[in-house]
Parts: sequence; C-alpha cells; structure tokens
Amino acid sequence: MSFNKVKEFIEEGDVIILYLGHNDMHSLEIKAKIPNKNGKMVDNVFQTKYGALKVFSLVGHKYGTKKKLSRGWAYVLQPTPELWTLTVPHRTQIIYSPDISLIIHLMDLIPGSIVIETGTGSGSLSHALIRVIRPHGHLYTFDFHEQRINIAQAEFERHGLSKFVTSSHKDVCIEGFGKELETKADAIFLDLPHPWLAIDYAVSTLKKSGGKLCSFSPCIEQVQRTCAKLISKGFIELNTYECLQREVHVQYKNLPILNLECLQYENVDKDMAQENEKQEVKLLTAMHARSLPGHTGFVTIATLPPFHVRKME
Amino acid sequence: MCENEDNIITVGKYVIIKKQNFKKIYKVATNGTLMLGRDTVQMHEIIGKPFWTTFEMIPVKEGKRTYFLKEVLETESLNDLLNKLPSGNDNRTIVDDGTSQKLSKEEILRLQESGKTGKEIVGSLIENNKSFLDRTEYSQEKYLKKKEQKYLRYITIWKPNISLLHDVYFQLDHNKIGNLRMDSLSQLLSYSDVQSDGLYMLYDSGSHGMSAAAILNRIGSNTEGHLINLHPGNVPQLALVNAMNFPREQLDKLINVNIYSFLRLYHQGESAVLDKISKKVHNNCINKIKENKGKNDDESLVNNEIPQIEEIDMKEENLNNINESNDKVEHSTNGSLKRKRDESDIHEAAEVTVAKKPKWLMETQDAVKLVKGSKARGLVIVAKEHPLNIVTALLPFLGFSRPFVIYHAHREPLQETYMTLKQKQSVINLRLLSNFLRSYQVLPDRTHPDILTSDTGGYLLSGYLVQ
Repeated sequence: MSFNKVKEFIEEGDVIILYLGHNDMHSLEIKAKIPNKNGKMVDNVFQTKYGALKVFSLVGHKYGTKKKLSRGWAYVLQPTPELWTLTVPHRTQIIYSPDISLIIHLMDLIPGSIVIETGTGSGSLSHALIRVIRPHGHLYTFDFHEQRINIAQAEFERHGLSKFVTSSHKDVCIEGFGKELETKADAIFLDLPHPWLAIDYAVSTLKKSGGKLCSFSPCIEQVQRTCAKLISKGFIELNTYECLQREVHVQYKNLPILNLECLQYENVDKDMAQENEKQEVKLLTAMHARSLPGHTGFVTIATLPPFHVRKME
Repeated sequence: MCENEDNIITVGKYVIIKKQNFKKIYKVATNGTLMLGRDTVQMHEIIGKPFWTTFEMIPVKEGKRTYFLKEVLETESLNDLLNKLPSGNDNRTIVDDGTSQKLSKEEILRLQESGKTGKEIVGSLIENNKSFLDRTEYSQEKYLKKKEQKYLRYITIWKPNISLLHDVYFQLDHNKIGNLRMDSLSQLLSYSDVQSDGLYMLYDSGSHGMSAAAILNRIGSNTEGHLINLHPGNVPQLALVNAMNFPREQLDKLINVNIYSFLRLYHQGESAVLDKISKKVHNNCINKIKENKGKNDDESLVNNEIPQIEEIDMKEENLNNINESNDKVEHSTNGSLKRKRDESDIHEAAEVTVAKKPKWLMETQDAVKLVKGSKARGLVIVAKEHPLNIVTALLPFLGFSRPFVIYHAHREPLQETYMTLKQKQSVINLRLLSNFLRSYQVLPDRTHPDILTSDTGGYLLSGYLVQ
C-alpha cells in the first residue's frame, strides 16, 4: 500500500525499495512469511551482498532509514514510479523514466485526465500514469496477454492503486477499446507491434473535444505506417522524437603536468624535466559511460482536433 | 456547463495564436491588436468564439498591412494546385541562376496588396516559375509548404497548455526559460515525484515561471497539493503561470516567496524580519545608496531587494526590445510588469507603516507554516546561481526517502554539488544526467532526423534524502 500516499513508517504489506547501491536496488514486500520454491511458507529473508535481511524486521522503522546488515548497510526507500521502474519484475520489455517523462509531457496529462494505455506489459508506465492522473482521473489499461493483465491487476491492488485503474484482457487491434469508453478519453498511449491497427478505434474513443495519441515504437517502419494512418484519420501536429538519457560519472582525476619549457635551457642541477613530471593537478570532472542504450524507441505524438473541426481524408 | 465556459475565448484569457508553424501567446483584450511579423491584426473578432476556431486575416484597406479577422469554416489548401501538374525526375536540368521566377519583387508585393487570396498568389508564382515543372514532386511539395508559411493568412486559436507554452518559448528564445528543453522539464517533474497531493518546494531563478507552471499543472485543481516557489528577487517571474489561465483555487496552491525572507523568517522568527523592516525605514536613504552597489546580497533582505528589482526591470526592458522585433510574448511580459509594480508598491508601503503586515510577509508566513506542518514531498531547483548553497539550505525541508532534482545549464556546478552531497552521506542514488533529444521528419520514403536539433539540454542532478 506504499504507492498511494507518503508514509513515514514502514508497515506490514508495504512494498519497499532496498537500496544497496547505485545499480543494486530491490523491491520487497513486507511480509513475515513467503512461499519458497516448493510452496512451503518460510521466513521472509532477503540475501544481499552485505548479509541477510529479515524483511519483516523493517516494520515500524521510518522510510529513509539506514539498516545495518552484517557486512554493511542498506537504505529503505518508499517506492516512487521511478524507483519502481528500476526494480519492477520484468515480464516484458519496459519503458524507462526518460521516455515515460516525455510521453506524459507530450500527452498533456494532469490530475483528472482519462487515459488509455495498451499494452500494460510489466506496468512500469502504468504506475507513472496513475501518479499524474490521480485523484479524479482514471487509467484504462489493456493487454492481449491474459497472465500479464492478472499479474498487473494484483500488483495495482497490492500497491493501493486499484481505484485509479481498470485493467482488461483484450486485443484492442481486433476488438477496440469497448463501447463504454467511446468519446471518454483525453489521451491514448499505444505500445503495440502494429499501432496503426488501433487508430480507427482510438478516434472514436477520444473525447469529442479532441485529445492526444501517443505511440511508442522501436522501429522506424512502424512509425511511418502509424503516421500515415494518423494523418488519414484527421490527426494533426504530428511529431516524432527520440530521447536518450546519458548518466555521467563524477570523479576526481589527477592529471600529471609535464614541464617541457625547462628543456629549452641548460639545467643547472639534476634533470629537472624528470622531477617536474611528478607535478599533478586534481580535476573534478565527469566520465561518460563506456556504453549506453543507443536506442529505446520513437515517441510519436499527434493531436486529434475537436469533432467539429476534424478533417478526414 | 463549466467545461463549455472553459472552451470559450473571453477577455483576460491567454490564448495561443497559431499561423501555420508559427505560434504566439496573446492575452485577449477588448480591442486588442497582435503583431505578426510586420502585420497588425485586430483581434476583437475572437472574443466569444470557442477555442480551435480558425480565422482568415483580411486586409482592412488595400495596400495596408493591417488585417481584421473573419471566422472561416473551410481553409483553402495549396495542395490541389499540384493536381495534374507534371514533375521532373531529378534536378539535372535545374540551374539556380536566380531567373526562375519571372515576377519581380515589386510585382509580387503588388499581388499581395491587391487583396488576392494566398492561393491565387501562389498560383501565379507557380505559373511564372519556369523551373517549377522540372522539380520533383517532393521538391514541389516542399516549395508549396514554404509558400504556405508566407502567403496563407489563417490563424487558429488554441487553449494554452504546458507543452504548447513550452514550445512557443523554446522556439522563440530558449534562454528565457533557462534553456529548459522539454525532456529536461519532463524529467524534472518525474524525478521530483510531483503529483496532486503533498507539499513541493521549488527554487527558480529564471525560467519565466516555466517550472512553477508545470509543477502547479501537475498538482492540479481541486486537489491537496501545495507549491512553495522560492525566488531570489523582489517578485517572482510568473509569466507562464499566468498564461495557463489556472482557476483561482489552483493559483492559491502556489505561494511565491523570496528565499531570503523565507529562510530568515524560518530560522530567526518574525521579530528578525520586522526588525529589518523598521531598520529599513530608518536607514532608507543611506541604504538606497548602498543597495545600488548590490553588495551583501545574502546578508540582508533590504539590500537584496532593490538591486534585484532593478535588475529584473532591466531584463524586462531588454525583453520588450526583443519583443518589438520578435513580438511573441509581449502581453505576458506586460502582465508581469504590471504585477511587479503592484507588488513593489506594497513593499514601499511596508517601508512606511510597519503596523500593517505587508502582503509578502503574510505569504512568507504562510510558507513557513506549511513547511512547519509537513516535510516537502519533492524539491526542485532550477538555478542560474551555483546550486550548492541553495540545495544545502533547502534539503532540511525535504522528507526522508523523498527525491530532489536540480537543473543547471552547466555541468561543473552540478559536479561540485554532487561531490559535496556525496560526502554528506545523507543523500543516496545521486545521478548526474544529460539528455539527447532529436525529432524526426516522417514522410513516405523521406524519413530522417530533422536537420537541426537542439544541443543544449542542460544537466540534471537527482537523488533521495535519507536519514
């Protein structure tokens, strides 16, 4: 229940983020017992590189607390959608925070928006969408994979988010978004292999006063077909972006300084050039990572004008 | 219904004027005019019409570049000019010797002033262009797109939202919003966990209210959230907050306070602040001279106020100069200027009578009350200054396990902040980030990245506060 409000103390049933290091974070559920691989209930102990953590012993501690382990420390954080994205159990490829942020900005979501997402996938984007549209908005999320929808649904409930989201098992490319959602949505997000197949349905699902459609596709061919379809259905202001985030590592570097000027003159005593080689300057600088995700996906945004000024081909 | 009312253009509202690819912010006035390049447009026709209405600009008098607006349902498109026209396969026969267009500049100008429609003008341009038919169809299309920009005189009125306002400002002059590109802006909002409830703190020293408007937009209306907008000057920059047409109730969630007053009041109490004010009365003349030197900015409230307002006023003047030529946000800056005067009046009044609490003091007290009641859920810093002292002063107001994010156009101050924060051990998951954003031209068989891309995304430093 730790997603729906700011909490000071850790309680049973919360999902927490255990922070061991930059690239070493885990989401854990605060329960006394969990089933082991044979289905037997055993004590909830989480093994870290700094020693074992009895997860239930965190109850009553404050969020942000530093927990002593036998060989080091761990910090306990309340999850945000960003931390969740980094620790979510992957059931599919997920969309990460840089793209999520851009998608939400481009769709102009605010508290109160009615937004549709398909497919649900691992629910990484869903958590960020719910954060924006709460408390009086709603997320309708669809996936054609039944198990994924069930897992996501259970997750929303555990996280205390279920009243802001409705998840349905449906192939929207074949069935559409459903009659009850016609002219209800402010924005529709498509993360589908064939997004253009959902666009006819999207037109009748967006509000009569217009709305936004955003599509995320890894391949440029998908973008081309989607854009052609969007234009034919009266969407305007089409834009496609690619956003890559780079993390830079801040560090001190010691740079040796060579004294070469002294070589122009005859040296009085010893070899000054050699000695001066030991001079160094301490520089605060940043290093880029050796490799980075060079491509995630193309984000296409389009606007559907209000009904009375729409033009279709 | 109130939604319908929201969708009608009324006097006092900010709107976005769109002419082809050009967008501009305009505040609706009873008999307002708008400068579009060298054209003057009389705007009263838009009042009472719903958003998304399109108007044609019609010359008031032949030969003058003043236009009135007429609502239109259908806009003409130049695309059917291309129908049935032959086109070339490539450009082997086209020689750029400047003689393709047989019409002279004067003749074209006369066409424009004769009151002919954009389509008629472009029609005769094509007719008199001897190489047009040799161009490939793609090239012909591109030619028409360019001419559409120039000769079609339709404007559409849109309702402002954050992405549109950002777009207008970023294209006009990204310096005005601190080079905050949309990817950085969107990540500021994510990494600070802004949402409808909770208390958020923002320090912003120069984005024309872009970050405050974006955060307030995410807090929403009829919600529980609050935003304390700390600024270094006498008055906050709120141009973009105003341009959002937020309802009163939503604006009331925003408290703008001077960071010096806020911290002094919080740490030293009301008497310290009131002392400053009465000293100010006594030493008014002496201070005025000192103040102009602008020294000891962080030492005294008195000293930092007046130099700052001068600085801002100078900036505004510069802005207005730019506006005369570029003329895009004149109304929003005028609006903030007016507000500025109002507020400085209040400050002056405060100098004379201490008995009556000035408005800024009450607002500062409200802000202090808020931070005493609860820790902030998120902290955002968009600074032109070195961010280290700012984040050090504001981190104590942030709750544990809560995130902060600092934006700066330069990397070096964030590196230094990173190192200092890292050594404190009360922040974790510190990350220094920069983004690469590019847009694409998507057309059948002609998809490629746009030729021009912004390379000034700035840097973000994000982290979480722990015990």
